[in-house]
Amino acid sequence: MDPWLLITIVLGFAMAWAIGANDAANSMSTAVGAKAITPKQAVIIAGILEFTGAYFFGKSVTETIRKGILDPTMITDPNVLIYGSAAALLAATIWLVIATKFGLPVSTTHSIIGGIVGYGIVYAGTAIVNWGKMGQVVLSWILSPIIGALMAFLIFKAMTRSIFETKDPVRNARIWSPFWIGLAFVVIGTMFYIKVLHGGDLKAGVMMYGLPAGVVTFIVTYLLIKLRFRSADPLINVESIFKKAQLVTSSYVALAHGSNDVANAIGPVAAVYAVATMGLSGMQVPVPRWILAMGGLGITIGVATYGYKVMETVGKKITELTNTRGFTIQFSAATVVLVSSWLGLPISTTHVVVGAVIGVGLARGVKAINKDIVRDIIISWFVTVPVAALISAAIFKILMLVG
Amino acid sequence: MQVWTKLFAKSPFKPLIKHSEVVLNTVETLEKALQAWERGDYEEMKRLAVEVDRLEDVADKIKEEIRDSLSSKLMMAVAREDVLIYLHMQDKVADAAEDTAKWLLVKKPGTIPAEIKDIIIRMGAESIKAAKLVHKAIVQMDRVIESGFSENEIKAEYEIIHKIEGVESKIDGLDTELMQKVFEMADKLSWGDGFYILNIARTLSNISDKAKDAAERIRLMMNK
Repeated sequence: MDPWLLITIVLGFAMAWAIGANDAANSMSTAVGAKAITPKQAVIIAGILEFTGAYFFGKSVTETIRKGILDPTMITDPNVLIYGSAAALLAATIWLVIATKFGLPVSTTHSIIGGIVGYGIVYAGTAIVNWGKMGQVVLSWILSPIIGALMAFLIFKAMTRSIFETKDPVRNARIWSPFWIGLAFVVIGTMFYIKVLHGGDLKAGVMMYGLPAGVVTFIVTYLLIKLRFRSADPLINVESIFKKAQLVTSSYVALAHGSNDVANAIGPVAAVYAVATMGLSGMQVPVPRWILAMGGLGITIGVATYGYKVMETVGKKITELTNTRGFTIQFSAATVVLVSSWLGLPISTTHVVVGAVIGVGLARGVKAINKDIVRDIIISWFVTVPVAALISAAIFKILMLVG
Repeated sequence: MQVWTKLFAKSPFKPLIKHSEVVLNTVETLEKALQAWERGDYEEMKRLAVEVDRLEDVADKIKEEIRDSLSSKLMMAVAREDVLIYLHMQDKVADAAEDTAKWLLVKKPGTIPAEIKDIIIRMGAESIKAAKLVHKAIVQMDRVIESGFSENEIKAEYEIIHKIEGVESKIDGLDTELMQKVFEMADKLSWGDGFYILNIARTLSNISDKAKDAAERIRLMMNK
């Protein structure tokens, strides 16, 4: 085997590990925080679903250069793609590890984009970068949290208005809880089609997956509540309904995360694989299943080794999040991601989730949010691409000199 | 990803409830001290009055901890100023109870007419009601937030606030009644006795005054 392919595989694995460590905990932590599941259960569920998502639903064809951020026609030397991919992977991994260490939820997609931009500029100057695409990425830093916050604010208000703020909360909880959970499943079903199965037609997704999933969920939830709902305290009972719903929503988030974000780790690996086996290839290359498996395994190990620690602390420390709030955050994040995929807007799930937390806070749903941490998070988003780019540029330069 | 633990700051409500429990405890102990005083059991009264003093110290410590943790870096469902002023008022309830206990300790009773004693005992009983209602109000405030400021929970909170206001005006009435009694009986009472009784009455009615101020702040918390 080509030694560079081997090196890239190792780096890709490291990147997958970092994705698992940094991101996977995000998908489950609102559920853990709301005590819908224990940290141990979260790790097992996330581990299995991340792998399933990556291996079975990861894209079998991936872009060699993520999101078309560089002009591939300007890379004529195959070695550049090899060194560049290695540099980008290493840089993104290093940045993710640093961010994770400081507890900052940065976007893995933006990290790898930063890495790619870094080597691209060193190799061919700023002209190689597709600045239009880059502008979209920057726009997503600003738009994702704002839309996430807005959506969470509205959903939270609507949910409390429909259930708690009524004359008969018990009666309304019986009808409206299944409605909201059903609606969440319309989104989840549609997203399953678009994000996991990588389907293109939104309408088909809604009709074939979204609506059936929503209707079935509505009926099942409605019947379950009819049988089991005790009316003594609507507040507590509504929470217990959303507790179960949260288990499913967060599982789904883990599955979708695996199927999508695995590309951040294996994209560069696939690029090197294509060069090593077929000479220089175009923008998109087929990915062998074993590379997908490697990515999935890396993410799962990341969840189990580092994500575990994180989720444990989350479970012990966040007591401020109830199930309805956890559900609201996940539901709004999923909706925003779905709508923006459909509109073709680049959006970062991590950013949307943080925005959603703030949105629920603004709707007076969370008792206290630490403003300093919010500021740190926002700063970390703005530095992700430049920092990953700088690290990648340095590594690439060294590789070009010694290689 | 430790961010989730850091993003959600510790809410002040659980500590506020804990503080109000201690305040309630302080007032309850004061009521027992007043009953011992009425019976003429000076030793028991002294023991209880000292306990009131100790409990007030405990409340003070919790108050300091809450103040330190409530930095302006928090984004809260209620205004920070309202929480801080509420805490101050809730603490004043315990302070007033301690003041009464101090007055009980300065002088051996015995010459106080039964009629006056009776009014003071009634004032003590009403003070307990005020402290209990304040505790109920802060627990309910927690529920108001849990429910996302639902109309029903807010309504329940307003009912508690009204009750506190009711208790306050009742104690005010008793206070006036007592003052009149003291001057009616001026001949039978020594200058010292009158001063002693009026101060006990003043500090007792302070308990419900501060409880009312606390309730007022809770009202403001709901109208952010």
